[in-house]
Order: sequence, then structure tokens, then C-alpha cells
Amino acid sequence: MAEIDSSKFRVVGAEYKTIEPIINKLTLREKLKGKPIFSFIILLAIIICCIFSGKIGNHNPSGFYLENLNNAPNSEFYFGTDSLGRDIFSMIWYGGRVSILIGLLSMAIITVIGIVYGCISGVSSEKVDAFMMRTAELGNSIPTLLLILLIASITGKQNVFKISFVIGITGWFGLARIVRSEVRQIRNSEYLMSARTYGAGFGHIMIFHLIPNFVSPIMFVVVSSISSSMSMEATLSFLGLGLPVDVISWGSMLSLANKALLLNTWWVIVIPGFFLILTLNCITNLGSFFRKETNKIHSNL
Amino acid sequence: MNEKNIFIKKTTYRILGFVFAMLILSIVVFYFARLAPGDPLQSFYGDSVESMTAKELQAARVRLGLNEPIFIQYIKWIENAFHGDFGLSLKYKIPAMSVVSPLIGNTLVLGGTAYILMFIMAVLLAVACAVNEDSVFDRLICKTGTVSYYVPPFWLGILLVLIFSINFKWFPSSGAYDVGKANDIINRIKHMVLPLVVMIMSHLWYYAYMIRNKLLDEVRKDYVLLAKAKGLKKSEIMWKHCLRNALPTIVNIMAISIPHVLSGTYIAEAVFNYPGLGSLSIESAKYHDYNLLMLLVLITGFLVIFSSIIAKTINEIIDPRMKETEVSAWQK
Repeated sequence: MAEIDSSKFRVVGAEYKTIEPIINKLTLREKLKGKPIFSFIILLAIIICCIFSGKIGNHNPSGFYLENLNNAPNSEFYFGTDSLGRDIFSMIWYGGRVSILIGLLSMAIITVIGIVYGCISGVSSEKVDAFMMRTAELGNSIPTLLLILLIASITGKQNVFKISFVIGITGWFGLARIVRSEVRQIRNSEYLMSARTYGAGFGHIMIFHLIPNFVSPIMFVVVSSISSSMSMEATLSFLGLGLPVDVISWGSMLSLANKALLLNTWWVIVIPGFFLILTLNCITNLGSFFRKETNKIHSNL
Repeated sequence: MNEKNIFIKKTTYRILGFVFAMLILSIVVFYFARLAPGDPLQSFYGDSVESMTAKELQAARVRLGLNEPIFIQYIKWIENAFHGDFGLSLKYKIPAMSVVSPLIGNTLVLGGTAYILMFIMAVLLAVACAVNEDSVFDRLICKTGTVSYYVPPFWLGILLVLIFSINFKWFPSSGAYDVGKANDIINRIKHMVLPLVVMIMSHLWYYAYMIRNKLLDEVRKDYVLLAKAKGLKKSEIMWKHCLRNALPTIVNIMAISIPHVLSGTYIAEAVFNYPGLGSLSIESAKYHDYNLLMLLVLITGFLVIFSSIIAKTINEIIDPRMKETEVSAWQK
């Protein structure tokens, strides 16, 4: 066998190492394409303004400016004043804190109950599973508003934590169903069996094996539960069963809407509602972006 | 196994499921109402409790069975409930049933009209979007639809009142009819317009979007290609072929949507002060009128569960495919 002399050979197609690949350097504009950048910026702006509400508001949000009742938006009161003489511009940022806090707290309660209930239902035997799912379906089939009315009237006067609890405890049925169906798919997989044979308890299996598997499918539901909770809080406050007028939130600001109708003061109605809808839309946009991203990752696998 | 047997078996299962659901619902409602702060005696006798002596109170407790264990109380309550006796309404001082019964009709008319109109509009909108997929029209509708879905219905209601009844004075802002015009149908319809708009707008896009996506799934299928090759028009394919195949999904969505629509009805009733179950239940929640509230929750639950069972049955009748798959699942 003749010695291989590299000079006699021409390596075909090996030039790729010498050629600098054309790296598609994305411009900033291309990188941001398809991402909900507007929603993100608006949401961030609203949250920052709410955090620094003391610096931004030019009036005391709970102060009654009795000589300025029902002022239309002007240079002193940027968004006008309501029928109690409070400055709406300051109240918006201050009330945003409470509204967003209620959304986040309710989301936490919904997520915890939904995941635990769904996991228990998913790993237990057929009969227990059927019973638990029937119950959840039943809860899902009754209008949420009515359940909340029942519980809200029992719990009496509301505060931020109570109302989050009431909203959270009636909102987890849908999430539990999704979690349960995801757990059903993986309950007989080998790694769960091995974890069980090693003696892992239910809590360990749930946190380290089950939850990582269904984080992405439930992400959208979890994120949109923030917005639905905020909307529910506003509805309850408007109906007079939520936060009292002296606890400022976007919902309790809207509870003055009926009075505003009689006085025909549009700014009391439109401005808090506008901020509420803006926030809800931004949150949902971000949520659906996450869902699209996770779906992409799934299909690549 | 023949078809008749399966049908009987399934019907029994469904009825059993219904009874089970109502039972659980009644237990939950009863226990919740008993959890309420304050004396249940208050809800039977109202303010006169305060002027009673201790002996009278004890006697009243025994008479009402409040000294017995709670499950015996529950059984008694259920027994009375079957006779149509749900106790006195605290606020109105008359039996709860007679407060509720004249209002059921109002709610059903309002909710039913909204339900039917909403789905007719949802199907039309979905077809219009699916035919013009990805056009400017479709995108515009999609964007406005998603934004509109997050408009809280009560806020939309107030806004409509502000615009159309206070500033333009086109429609009345509250009630079911003007004083003395109870039999005037046009007057009643005028009062229904704004609540209907609120109820339809708050859920229309959500369902239209679901139907649109289902239609787009259908459009990608092979039979559409065949229909196109035959030379059918686009709209003809959509109406005659795609919509037919999407019909079971639509009926399914209609079944799921019942609690949402009812929720919407309640909010609309509360905003527009329309005499119905919704405004009544919010009022009774405010006044802690538990006997009435319990009855209202039970009625709503009954309406929802019953109608979803009907929807399931209809779905089986119109879609033979579903029957087959379910039968094979049955025999496994």
C-alpha cells in the first residue's frame, strides 16, 4: 500500500473551514420582530408608575378635595376628580398596586390549588380520579360569579387578602383539569416508577418530576388567570361586594360609576376602565407569546 | 350489544350523573350557608330575634331543628326543598320560592335571546374571517376581537348607558319595561337592547375565534381540495361542506358556553337593573339573604347542568361519528 501523500490529494469540499460563515447579524429591529414589545413596554411602564405612585401622583390619593368635586380633567387634576373630590390621576397609580397585587395573589392561590388537586387526581386510582374530576367539572359548570357571590357574602367585609382568596378559591377548576390530563400521560413512565421504587414521597415526585413536565402547557392558563382575577375584582367591587370605596383599586374606583352616570362625568368611568383593559391586554399578550414560544420548543423535540 | 341497550345504559348514567351533581351542589351550598357568620335564626325571624327571650330562642331553635347535627339539618332541608319550601326570604319576608319564580322567565328570555343571537353572529363572523383568511379584514377583526374580550362586561354596560341612554337618549337605562307598559312588546324590546349588546359583545369573539380556527382546520383537509377541483365556489364550499363538518364542535362550544352566558346575563342584569335572577342574587348577597341565595345557586346549577346534558345528547344525534367512537369506548 502506497504511502498517503497529502500533496497528491485534493480534499474536496473541505474549504468550508477556511470560509468565514456569513453570520446573519440580526439588527435590533429583526430581533424584536414578532415579540410583544409594545405590551411589554406598556406593562412595565404601568408597573413602574404604580411602584413609584407616591412620586408621580401630585395629590394625596385618599385626600378629599371638597372644593373640587367632579372636576373635568384640567391642568391641576390631570384626570379630573370623582364625586368624592379625590384626584383620579393619583388614584390610578395607587390603585394599580392593589389591583395588580390582587391579580398576583389570586394567581398564586389558583396555581397552588390547581396543581396540587390535579396532581393528586392524576396519580390516584380510577375511582378517586373520576370522583375528583366530576367535582371539578361541577365547579366549572356553575357560573363563577354566583359561587363568588355566595362566598363573598359569607366572608363579610372584604379586604385585599380576603378578596384574592375568594377569587382564587373559585378559579382553579380549569387549571386542575389541564394538570390532571398532563399527569395522566406521564404517570406510568419509567422515571416516575424508579422514583417511586427509591421511596420518593408524593411531594417530592410532584415538585421534581411532575411539575417540570407540565410547566409549559399550563403557563398560559396561569398568566391569563392574573388578568381574569383582576377583571373579577373590578366586577365584584362594582357590584358592591368587593373592596369598599376607601380601599383604592381600579375596581373600587369604578364602584362610583353609577353615581358618575347620574352626574354625566365620563372621566370617572372611562379612565380607570381604560387602564384596567390596557393592563389586562398586555398581560394576555405576554401570556400568549410564552405559549407560542413553548409550543415551538416542543415541536423541535 | 344492540343500540337500544346502549342508549338506555347511557341515559341512566347521565341521569345518575345529574342527580349526583345536584346532590353535591346542594351539600356545598347548604354547608356554605351554615358557615355564614351570624345566627341562622336571624335568617328565619329577621330582626325580631333581638326582642326574644332566651327561652323563646331555645324553643325556636328546637322547632327549626337547629340544635341537631348538621347532616340531619341538611336532610330536613332537602326534604322541604322537594316540597318547594326553601324557607323565608330575609329581605322580602315571603317564601324564597315565590320571590324567585316570577323572575325566572325574565332571565330565561334575556339569556336565551342573547345565547341564540350570539351564536348566529359568531358563526357568521367566523365564516367571514375564515373565507378571507389573513386578509386585512380578518386581521382587523382578530385584533379588535382580542381587545374586546378583555373589556369587563360591566364596564361596557356603563359605557353604553353613558353614551346611548344619557347622552343620545336612544335607549332606556334600566328596568324591563316602563311603568304601566308591561304588555307593550316594543317597549320591552327597547329595554332589552343594551343588555343584549353587553352580553353578546363580551363573549362573541371568544367563540367566533374558536369556530374560525376549527373552520380553518377543515379548510386544510382533502375533501375541500376535491370540492375545489369540482369547481365549487369558495363560499359554497364553506357553507355546504366545512361548516357541516365543524357543526359538532360548534354544538360542543355551545354546551360549554352556557355557564359563561348565564354569568354574563347576571352581570348585565345587575348593571341595567333588569328584574331577573342575576340582579336578585347580587341583592341577596349584599343583604346576606342566604335562603334566597341558596335557592338561586341551586336553580342556576340546575339550569346549567340540565342544558349541558341536553347539548351532549343533541351532539350525539347530529354527529354519528361521535356515537361510534363512544360505543367502541363503551365496549372496551
